[in-house]
Amino acid sequence: MSPKIEPATSIHRRLLVLLLPPLALLMLAGGFADYRASMLFMRTAYDQSLADAAFAQAARIRVADGRIYAQLPQQPPPNSRVNHAETFYYSIWGPDNQLIAGNPQLPAASSHEDNPAYADGWLGSHKIRIVTYRMRTDAGAAMITVAETTNRREGARHFILTSTWLMDFILIDATLLLVWIGVRYGLRPLVAVRTQIEARSPRELRPLETAAVPAEVRPLVDALNGLFEVLREAARSQREFVADAAHQLRTPITGLLGHLDLLTQDPAARGLQMRLATLRDGVARVAHSANQLLALARAEPSANLADHFQLTELGPLIGRVIERNVDRSVKTRLDLGADVGPATVTGSAWLIEDLLGNLVDNALNYTPAGGHVTVRCAGAQSEPYLEVEDDGPGIPESERQRVRQRFYRLPGSTGHGCGLGLAIVEEIARLHGADVTIDTGAQGRGTRIRVQFPAAASAPRGETANNVTH
Amino acid sequence: MASARMRILVVEDNDLVADAIERGLAVAGFAVDRAPSAELAATALAAERFDLAVVDIGLPGEDGLTFVRRLRTQGSHLPVLILTARETVALRVEALDLGADDFLMKPFEQSELAARCRALIRRANLNTNGQLNFGRLRIDVAGRQLRIDERTVELTGREWLVLECLAFSAGRVVSKERLQQAIAKWDQAMTPNAVEVYVSRVRAKLADVALIRTVRGLGYRLDEPED
Repeated sequence: MSPKIEPATSIHRRLLVLLLPPLALLMLAGGFADYRASMLFMRTAYDQSLADAAFAQAARIRVADGRIYAQLPQQPPPNSRVNHAETFYYSIWGPDNQLIAGNPQLPAASSHEDNPAYADGWLGSHKIRIVTYRMRTDAGAAMITVAETTNRREGARHFILTSTWLMDFILIDATLLLVWIGVRYGLRPLVAVRTQIEARSPRELRPLETAAVPAEVRPLVDALNGLFEVLREAARSQREFVADAAHQLRTPITGLLGHLDLLTQDPAARGLQMRLATLRDGVARVAHSANQLLALARAEPSANLADHFQLTELGPLIGRVIERNVDRSVKTRLDLGADVGPATVTGSAWLIEDLLGNLVDNALNYTPAGGHVTVRCAGAQSEPYLEVEDDGPGIPESERQRVRQRFYRLPGSTGHGCGLGLAIVEEIARLHGADVTIDTGAQGRGTRIRVQFPAAASAPRGETANNVTH
Repeated sequence: MASARMRILVVEDNDLVADAIERGLAVAGFAVDRAPSAELAATALAAERFDLAVVDIGLPGEDGLTFVRRLRTQGSHLPVLILTARETVALRVEALDLGADDFLMKPFEQSELAARCRALIRRANLNTNGQLNFGRLRIDVAGRQLRIDERTVELTGREWLVLECLAFSAGRVVSKERLQQAIAKWDQAMTPNAVEVYVSRVRAKLADVALIRTVRGLGYRLDEPED
């Protein structure tokens, strides 16, 4: 699986950023308004009953002889307010600032516009709510002030605050959660498209499934599918071109080589043996180069679709490559052998055989007579590798990078090589996600080239991608 | 008995290639006829008896694969070696599925072609009359008899199984496991080391007439002796 790269602009994130903060602010404002409305309602109710107490006091005022009297009980009437939590205060003032009854310390609500007028105030260390009622009597103006401590009001305020806050908290959370779920769920078809694309190997050119694709991204997916189609077509025509080129080149080369083979053995041409052998070598080199160029073209990623990638055992492949080269190794007196352990990779058997063929070809070319070449595989499914080791002259450390380049040959090297062998190996290895390392052989001599493949997938990637339906 | 030369029909439209093949196989001791197209090849096969056909895939008109398919549907058991310049796995698989007996990629060496032809004819002979000829070896599979030239060589049962197995795939590598399985039918308690023992016994009895080559880590191959 490719690592999940967070895109620069994510629709998911944009939707959440655009929706969540304004929604949260809106709901907080709503909660605050609720709180204010409840508080106003509560205060009005309490103030009303406080005013009632003031009116009750006013009803007890009597006028006699141009003077004002108050017929008051010791405490305010128990019928209206039975409450042990609150303390009540009152004062009655007559004209000329003359205290008729009550607490002289009690401040009055000073507003002259409202009657009764309300105010908040302090009496000693007690916070109080004050109502002042001004009335006219025959003996002049009287001012009745009643006050109560605010314990119950505070209690009610706390209750309203707490319940509003709690309600808001739940609502905001629920809304945010719903938005989040909605956005996630709404974007699901998009995520499905992304998953479908991510699950594909880069080589895969099958069209994407369009059935579940939302209308908004359908043009995008259609464009992609169009592109895939063009690439598929290009890959197909390249494969055909390679096949045609192979045919065009190989047939005349076969004829040339065949005739030269025969001529070198023909008694009638005995005097020309040296020149014929040189000519034959030249044609063999052309044949080899043509083969290598075609192999390289075959290994181009664009010519390879994931359809050809399958679980491939390396053992039988080694058998085939060695079998092809036994005669040659006998001729050059090299001991060519295998060391086959269990190893399975996901790949194209055809290409890996090309890769191995080139490694063996190199080893046979550069190892002098009497030497050993061993082809190895092991690592099972988890870390399968392919290795070719020889006890020839080896590749100097300084040259190990350069030998991988196309057409590069070691200084002073002889033989049929055209310098494409390792380039082909590199190309095929890259196509399979494999690493090629060049080391010194076991006894500090020769060359050991290892191709380390990634763990074999349990199913070809093409099939996996096919199973993704949403 | 081997005096009659084996006849090979070469079906190849490219004159340069066909000419080289014809001459090469003639040098290797075969009698060769040429046909530049599938149609002419069919005419030649109807008129005369051949031991093997070497068929190029890329023929003008009917292609090589169609030709082989037609041959097989007509009930012919003629061994067929397919030549091709186009390489795809699918093609190789298709050719062998159709009933081609072997598959050779251009360009090839003359000696390789001759060796493949010999092996195919050998195998066909084995199938028809139980005889397997390999160089100076005469192996009578049905009669369980080995002769070198006219001299009979005695082999034990297990040695015989080893030789039979190798001779049947002469020129090809036979894995140690396969030899082991072949002998195991005779003797259940076989170890890989025992295979080596029997191989070296057979090797000694063949002396310089045929060579059992050890391919390290893979198996053995029956070869004609090196010059």
